[in-house]
Amino acid sequence: MPGPLPVSDVLLRTQRLSLEYTGADGSTISALRDVTLELQPHETVGILGESGSGKSSLSHAILRLLPPNGKIISGKIEYSGEDILALSRRELRQVRGAGIALIAQEPALALNPVLTIERQIIDVLRAHRRVSKQEAMEQTRAMLREVGFTDPERIGRAYPHQLSGGQRQRAAIAQALICNPRVLIADEPLSSLDAVTQAEILELLEKLKRDLHLSMIFITHNSGVLSSLADRVAVMREGEIQACGTLEQLARGTDEYVRALMFPEKNIPTRSSSIASLAASTSAEPLLRLDRVSKHFLQRRFLSRNVFQVQALKNIDLQIAEGASVAIIGRSGSGKTTLARCVAGFERPDEGQILFSGSRSNDRSEIQLIFQDAGSALNPRFTAAEAIREPLDIARRLSFPQRQERALQLMEEAGLDSAWAGRKVGEFSGGQRQRIAIARALAAEPRMLILDESLSGLDLPLQAQILRLLMDLQARHGLTYLHITHDLNFLPFFADQVVVMDQGTIVETGTPATLLESPQPVTKSLVAASERLHVAGMEVAL
Amino acid sequence: MKNRGKLTVTAGVLVAVHLLAVIAGFIAPYNYETQDREHPYARPARIHLTDCEGKFHLRPFVYATSPRDGTVNDYQEDCSRPEPITLFISGENYLLAGLVPTNLHLFGLRAEGRVYLLGTDGFGRDEFSRILYGAQISLFAGLLAAALALSLGMLVGTVAGAFGGWVDESAMRLAEIFIAVPWFYLLLAVRSVLPLHVSPLSAFIMVVAVIGLLNWGQPARLVRGVVLSGRERNFIQAAEGFGAKRLYLLKRHLLPMSFSVALTQMAVLVPRFILAEVLLSFLGLGIGEPFPSWGNMMAAAQQYYVLSSYWWMILPALAPIPVFLAYHALADVLQEKLQSTI
Amino acid sequence: MIGYLLRRIGHGLFLLLGVSLLVFLLMQAAPGDFFSTATLSERMSQETVHALRAQYGLDQPLPVRYVRWLNSALHGEFGYSFSYNMPASALLLPRARNTLLLTVPSLLISWLIAVPLGVFAAWRRVGWIDRLYSGGTSALLGMHDLLLALLALMLALHTGVFPTGGMSSFSASGTLLTDWKDLLWHMALPVSVLVAGSVAPILRHVRSSMIEVLDSRYIRAAEGHGLGPLTVLFRHALPAAANPLISLFGLSTALLLGGSLLVEVVMSWPGLGPMVLEAILGRDMFLVVGAVMLSTVFLICGNFLADLLLYVFDPRIRLDA
Repeated sequence: MPGPLPVSDVLLRTQRLSLEYTGADGSTISALRDVTLELQPHETVGILGESGSGKSSLSHAILRLLPPNGKIISGKIEYSGEDILALSRRELRQVRGAGIALIAQEPALALNPVLTIERQIIDVLRAHRRVSKQEAMEQTRAMLREVGFTDPERIGRAYPHQLSGGQRQRAAIAQALICNPRVLIADEPLSSLDAVTQAEILELLEKLKRDLHLSMIFITHNSGVLSSLADRVAVMREGEIQACGTLEQLARGTDEYVRALMFPEKNIPTRSSSIASLAASTSAEPLLRLDRVSKHFLQRRFLSRNVFQVQALKNIDLQIAEGASVAIIGRSGSGKTTLARCVAGFERPDEGQILFSGSRSNDRSEIQLIFQDAGSALNPRFTAAEAIREPLDIARRLSFPQRQERALQLMEEAGLDSAWAGRKVGEFSGGQRQRIAIARALAAEPRMLILDESLSGLDLPLQAQILRLLMDLQARHGLTYLHITHDLNFLPFFADQVVVMDQGTIVETGTPATLLESPQPVTKSLVAASERLHVAGMEVAL
Repeated sequence: MKNRGKLTVTAGVLVAVHLLAVIAGFIAPYNYETQDREHPYARPARIHLTDCEGKFHLRPFVYATSPRDGTVNDYQEDCSRPEPITLFISGENYLLAGLVPTNLHLFGLRAEGRVYLLGTDGFGRDEFSRILYGAQISLFAGLLAAALALSLGMLVGTVAGAFGGWVDESAMRLAEIFIAVPWFYLLLAVRSVLPLHVSPLSAFIMVVAVIGLLNWGQPARLVRGVVLSGRERNFIQAAEGFGAKRLYLLKRHLLPMSFSVALTQMAVLVPRFILAEVLLSFLGLGIGEPFPSWGNMMAAAQQYYVLSSYWWMILPALAPIPVFLAYHALADVLQEKLQSTI
Repeated sequence: MIGYLLRRIGHGLFLLLGVSLLVFLLMQAAPGDFFSTATLSERMSQETVHALRAQYGLDQPLPVRYVRWLNSALHGEFGYSFSYNMPASALLLPRARNTLLLTVPSLLISWLIAVPLGVFAAWRRVGWIDRLYSGGTSALLGMHDLLLALLALMLALHTGVFPTGGMSSFSASGTLLTDWKDLLWHMALPVSVLVAGSVAPILRHVRSSMIEVLDSRYIRAAEGHGLGPLTVLFRHALPAAANPLISLFGLSTALLLGGSLLVEVVMSWPGLGPMVLEAILGRDMFLVVGAVMLSTVFLICGNFLADLLLYVFDPRIRLDA
């Protein structure tokens, strides 16, 4: 960072902040080491880092919101000239919410499930300002309108479980900003939302930043999001600040880690066009074919008598050639997961037929599904070897030593050290678990892999790595891929064909290039959202 | 690790207590039915190191006692007859752990000497020995009943959760009906239809069976919940995608999951069932005379004149306390472990 | 709201019916009935016994007997007691009232003690308070109801401050006020024993439920927005903890019903407990069935009350119903 700025210019500053967590057995983990960060008025500083880099710990430390086993062991935190670490409890409470406000990840968990939205916002307001109930209600309604709700009376009286994910995030933002704080710390505010909603929330934050003259600290693992928002970016790695500067400065820098973080798509080889055209031209018979497939579900509201029909798929026609790599994109609720499950054989269509390799049989053992959450897709009590071995164990065609050897082979192929074969699945990280799931799927010797939002929960750099692995495997084993996703990250790299779904129907198909120009409204909104988020790899296709 | 330490300590205490109960015959100086007609309701023995003249002896000893004139059940020490306490002494014949005939006891007095560590009851039987023998009955009745209830519960719960549909519905409705009755009333009701006066062995089996078979409801519901949530988990669906049949899923995934829940339940249920046996015996519906269950020993203490004059008769009521504390601590530790793996 | 209530009531009735069937079936496993012992006496001939059996309908097949009993139950009679020679309900209902006299105050007092203490122990998880909590609850948990009842009896005998049993003194025939005072004096020890036995488990559950709420993301978020500790505790945490706390209600009702049986027997309180025991020993089956059914009714009512409170306090249940 350039030399320290004069004190009066800095709104919020941490100076050589160090933080430790104490485990149940007494051991300590260092979460932050000598972290120095400065925020000027009306500035937005982005903090870019992977999971575990300490970014959340930093945001919580600033407001002294650490769990009981966390301790700041050295350093200073100053806000508006005051030493936060020296404040009394009462003074600290005044800073929280009215001076510095924090929006945490996963808005659904940050709202009290048994209180109405307006009640939760009013409580924050009245904790800091002396206002009458009437005024509090008016200001709350005004704030709800400000964050984009057109019917603040109804929303205010609702409970969190009655709102959608995007609505809950807006409500949480309203709660944080009701007292007009000077600083907003947004800790991964876009996680667990679909791409279009992410773009909307991002736009909202930009607007609020302008209208309320906020200074912001925006924490994320996705560098694309920061490009329109942040004035400066600090890259965090394992508790330390690795680099700091504007995005252009960082892009031009030489630090490999930083560049990998900022341009994760650099890691991915472009899908060889020869393979792609080969796939398109060979044999008339597609590997997978769906003819007028429809499916509906009966949903019953909890404890009620009424059932109503949800049409998940409507007249789906689809053909996928062997060796191809097809992406199915759409918003939540567009039917893409139902489609994946029907193709994989977990659900039967009500109408139409699904032909795999020409046959109508329901035996889909040559199609394997990789779930979104590797944590629930693997039995946490199994060791890595047992998990990968499972398809072989069930088939019982090989002897145990043969199965074990094959499992270790697959483990290495998936990029994991086979020396860890004896570790329990629960001890691996999220990305590693997904690799285990992929190795397991390969053990079943499939011809087709369906990736149902398999990358969504991972940090962007990690997504790139796994995608690279998948592309290697595809080339090596001649697999056909069906990628189900809600965002367009890296799309031009891995997809020959893109299918756009909305409300159970296929709205459009094409190549990534044609899709980016498409006039179709659903496609346009998806593309626009991705542009907003500066989704990785979009420039390649253009 | 702090938790692991706690686990070993509590488990160790429980194992030690049960071991003591198994070798009760060795530790107890007398058999549970040996009567001393000359010393009913004797006070707990006073162990001396110095004698009446103030001389110090290395080996602890007791004085023989004889009835005080003009009183009932009151005894005075006879300074002329000191009896030293000997370790590893040959005493009455008994079966160690019910199997091995021997007459070696941990401690005792030679010949006619009597050391009643915790006094005697109305028949002159040594309370200390009877409490030890009673441990055999009460502790193992609870343990076996809990094993029975859990096995039955696991069976029903796993089948209900794995098969779903009407099997699940009917099993859970039935479980609800069993749970709806306050369990001790149900216990009494069932006990009431069985013959009242049976041999002690039959009584033991009956008590274990009744307590175990009536309490399957809650374990079944718990296990079923685990199995159901397990089925929702994607790894079950993935295994189905690999061609797994129901039997495989049960064996490889569902049963091991329900096992850990069952183990935690065990630590909760055993003390409850020990108490159930004690209560049944206390009410005269469990193990009867002359076999000592902590319960029927407490029944003897229920009389007003006993409670007011012979305070040591309430000691059997204190016996379950360390056992309960250990089980509760174990349940806490297991519960924490369970939470962390979910 | 009405729909929810009706569904819960229907569920309760289903349970009662199921329990009645279960208990009735269990009773049938009895080798012999009230009159079996009579057959052993030489004074009664076989014909007399048979005639008596026919008179009370004991020779009818099972379904018939069950239906007749159900009918009798709906008419408020609950079958017939052979020992006392009167309808079972005439004996059971006064006893049930006495049992309620013990269990309801015990329930209320246990909750009044356990809930504030549990909330406080969860709120202030500081070193010495935590140790006090662990030690105190462990000690109480180890002491089972039987021990507490016997100790209470010892206390009564040695100090003479409290009566050693029964529900009223012979001399209690004065004014309403003295009758009430006398009742309370007799209730003191049994209620204390019941409360002592149930406070510890309830306290533990309250504490762990509160800790779960206090550690939740939304409470930490509330603190992050600068809300004061009291506001957070009373306006945010307690309402969120209402659900698990109310669900405890059923648990504590079950605990107390089981404990009261024992306490009534040991301390000679004329409730359902001693009656059940007597009926068992005397093979008076309808009394046994009736007592079990009544205690089940109390438990189901307790659960129903909990369901009602849940509906009122938890918006998630209220809005989905």
